[in-house]
Amino acid sequence: MVSKRPRRSLLPVVAVVAGAAALAALPAFIDPYSLRIATGVLMWAGLACAWNIVGGYAGYISFGHSAFFGIGAYVTGILMQREVGLAFAATLPLGVLVAVAIAAAIGGPTLRLRGAYFAIATWAFAEMLMQLATVLDVTGGTGGLSLPAYLNEFFFFYVMLGVAAVVYVGAWFLLERTRFGYRLKALRDHEPAAEALGIHTTRVKVQAFALSAGITSLFGSIYAYWVTFIDPRSVMGPEITDQMVVMVLLGGLGTVWGPALGATVLWLTNRYIWSSFGDTVVYLPILGLLIALIVLFLPNGLISLLPGGRRGGGVLGRLWRKL
Amino acid sequence: MDLLLQALLNGILIGGILICLTIGFQLTFGVLHVIDFAVGGWVMLGGYAAYWASQLLGLDPFISIFLVFALFVAVGCAVGPLIYHVRTSRYARPDLMALAFTFGLFIMMRGGALWLWSFDSRSVDSWLSGHSLSLGPVTVPLLRLSAFAMALLLAVGLFVLLYRSRFGLAVRAVAQNRDHAGLMGVDVKRISAYVYGLYTGITASAGVLLATIYSVNPEVGVRYTLFAFFVAVLAGLGSVGGVLVAGLLLGLVESLVGTYVGTRYSLLVVFATLYLVLLVSPKGILQRGI
Repeated sequence: MVSKRPRRSLLPVVAVVAGAAALAALPAFIDPYSLRIATGVLMWAGLACAWNIVGGYAGYISFGHSAFFGIGAYVTGILMQREVGLAFAATLPLGVLVAVAIAAAIGGPTLRLRGAYFAIATWAFAEMLMQLATVLDVTGGTGGLSLPAYLNEFFFFYVMLGVAAVVYVGAWFLLERTRFGYRLKALRDHEPAAEALGIHTTRVKVQAFALSAGITSLFGSIYAYWVTFIDPRSVMGPEITDQMVVMVLLGGLGTVWGPALGATVLWLTNRYIWSSFGDTVVYLPILGLLIALIVLFLPNGLISLLPGGRRGGGVLGRLWRKL
Repeated sequence: MDLLLQALLNGILIGGILICLTIGFQLTFGVLHVIDFAVGGWVMLGGYAAYWASQLLGLDPFISIFLVFALFVAVGCAVGPLIYHVRTSRYARPDLMALAFTFGLFIMMRGGALWLWSFDSRSVDSWLSGHSLSLGPVTVPLLRLSAFAMALLLAVGLFVLLYRSRFGLAVRAVAQNRDHAGLMGVDVKRISAYVYGLYTGITASAGVLLATIYSVNPEVGVRYTLFAFFVAVLAGLGSVGGVLVAGLLLGLVESLVGTYVGTRYSLLVVFATLYLVLLVSPKGILQRGI
């Protein structure tokens, strides 16, 4: 096994690079509308990956990630107003910095809470920030905030693609190939035991939370510049967290590639429903039904159906071997 | 001074309904060990049921509330076994999976309501609407007073059932220790389903009262889920008795902030308090949580 590891371990990196290269050629073949959808898929894949770090690997279900998405969006939005006038690229690290700082600050006390208490606390925190964005002046309140428009779909596609690829390779490396990943999994499986083994669980949890928040904020920043108009509901609303949670559950909780799969399937479904029914309201009951069905029948997500999935292949894997 | 009295009174009257809203939620947590995100969804559906009862059958909400209660007990008894199944499954994290399941239920309810009835608010009229009593410096709307009384009646009924019947004894036994109760011959699965039904019934009834006082639209669910969480956390999750104090407290906080600071800050204050209480004292202000 050990001698095989180096060869095996590079495969995902090669796959991501090859996939990204193939995707990079995509804009040449599709129309602008499809390109927008592809950009959306990349963004949601990245967001789902970020949520999975805390939800899937640390085992702490966060219902407050929309807060960090909103923080990124608002940092970029506010700093790009004419009075401040920062360049887009300059606002990205600042947004990440703010999100990481806030996540680290609230992470310590919040991550002491277990299970349901943690979920409620993060939810309360996110709703609190959304209410704050509604009453403050600097965020434009309910009226929202307009950003300088940059109408170049290619730019946003390549930015999302680059960031998503880096996030996935980084997440794969950190979570599956370093001590940090093993520590996270250990504390997810049995926190007191992990602590007894000498893992500083609080520190590891806060690190994971801050990392996840930083990535989420990064996508929030890009999103704000992409759609050029943000308001509290659109960037901090609970739907954003809902979607991240469903995508990870659908793809496979606690797997590196599951979130990408879940995000792709769900976002394409979302857009398909949107274009054929004209509104996204029908989408919500379907989303809810999907969560309930996954929990009941497919708790390990779509990825467990693929050959080589967590359970040595799952249903499709068994079929595959029979053929 | 009159303003303060009026605000206190409004707070207490709403607090009574919040007690009714949370008490079933607490019971479910105690028995099934599930945080039900869908609590606001049941409130919303109860409100809509009362609306349709008054539109189609011409029933006053104070009469249809009994029908709504019965209907939602039946619905809850059907949904309960699913939640019990997820909670006692061999999944890696059954608690989180159950949480995700109710989260899915909630999105389904909210989305379904948006789809069927759009964003419009609907109000339910009662023959009590518009009447009020004058008690010295304060006025007491009869509607709120009756809703308060009805909510307390439901809560007291639940307490009597829990502490004065064999069924209640079984429920309390399961809440204390599921395995031991099972060994003593309690059908844990059936009790869990009944408890979930009781919870949805009582929560939907609270929804009828809230829809009569305010109005109902698909977005109210989120707000009431939050309120239930707030009261439950303050009371200590799973503590049914603590709800009596915490419900009144939330009613007072909301009323006082709304009167003296401005209604647009009331949600902000509620969320901030909830977050801080969780950090400082996760077992609730009375230290009675599980």
